[in-house]
Amino acid sequence: MSGLAPSEDDLIAAARGGDAAAFEAIVRLHGPAMRRVARAITGDDALADDAWQDAFVAAHRALAGYRGQGSLRAWLLAIVRNAARKLLRERSGHDDEPEVFTLGLAAGWGEASPEDVAVASRDRAQLWAALDRLEPDDRELLVLRDLEGQSGDEVAAALGIALSAMKSRLHRARLRLLAALTHPGGPR
Amino acid sequence: MTTPTATDREIAGLRCSEVLALLSSWVDGELTGAQRGAVEGHVRGCDVCERFGGRFAAMVQAIRALASDDDVAPASLEQLRQRLRAP
Ligand SMILES: [Zn+2]
Repeated sequence: MSGLAPSEDDLIAAARGGDAAAFEAIVRLHGPAMRRVARAITGDDALADDAWQDAFVAAHRALAGYRGQGSLRAWLLAIVRNAARKLLRERSGHDDEPEVFTLGLAAGWGEASPEDVAVASRDRAQLWAALDRLEPDDRELLVLRDLEGQSGDEVAAALGIALSAMKSRLHRARLRLLAALTHPGGPR
Repeated sequence: MTTPTATDREIAGLRCSEVLALLSSWVDGELTGAQRGAVEGHVRGCDVCERFGGRFAAMVQAIRALASDDDVAPASLEQLRQRLRAP
């Protein structure tokens, strides 16, 4: 966008007033990030598309009540998370959290030469494939914190958990991703 | 799969398992100066943790690099327009 582009606040005000072009500008601005988050949570392109649509329909309705608390992107990401999780709700269940040391072993700690992992993690397709093999909760965390670059505090608030709990879950999710990259054919 | 040689060595005042637990805080820049010095001292002296820590950090960097801003797909935009127009 050029320097003369309307500010986000202008776009919000116009969209609230029923300006469809302003709402579309918001969609173009934040849609790609929302699609990535939806894709990360659902692990499925079609479900992600549905969640993305639902989220923008919901955002369009809710815009009148948007009070500018936090950034617009954070607000939209919260909406798409809810939409994606709603679509996923039939899935459930968690195993007990394994020890970090056990996760480290699974991720190749102590192995002599899984050097190809460094190469694999630079390959976007392989990295997405490994992300897809994680549980939705792990993917969500990695996408919000690492991929979209939200702060630790923002992610903890979005998930409704303490910062320390978020950090502990993030570390485990990263180790599980490294395991998925290290042993692409191994158990999930 | 290579057999893991998981000897939990103590180097520079930290055990491998402690370094393993601190890797995220390390790549996120959340360690105190003393903790950071200990982790980096251990990693310099431990080939296992050096290799693993390097791969871990490279992976986190690679996830960050996935965030390219592609455009919204035209078909998605058109479908959304229709839904927003519907009563
Ligand atoms: Zn070590």
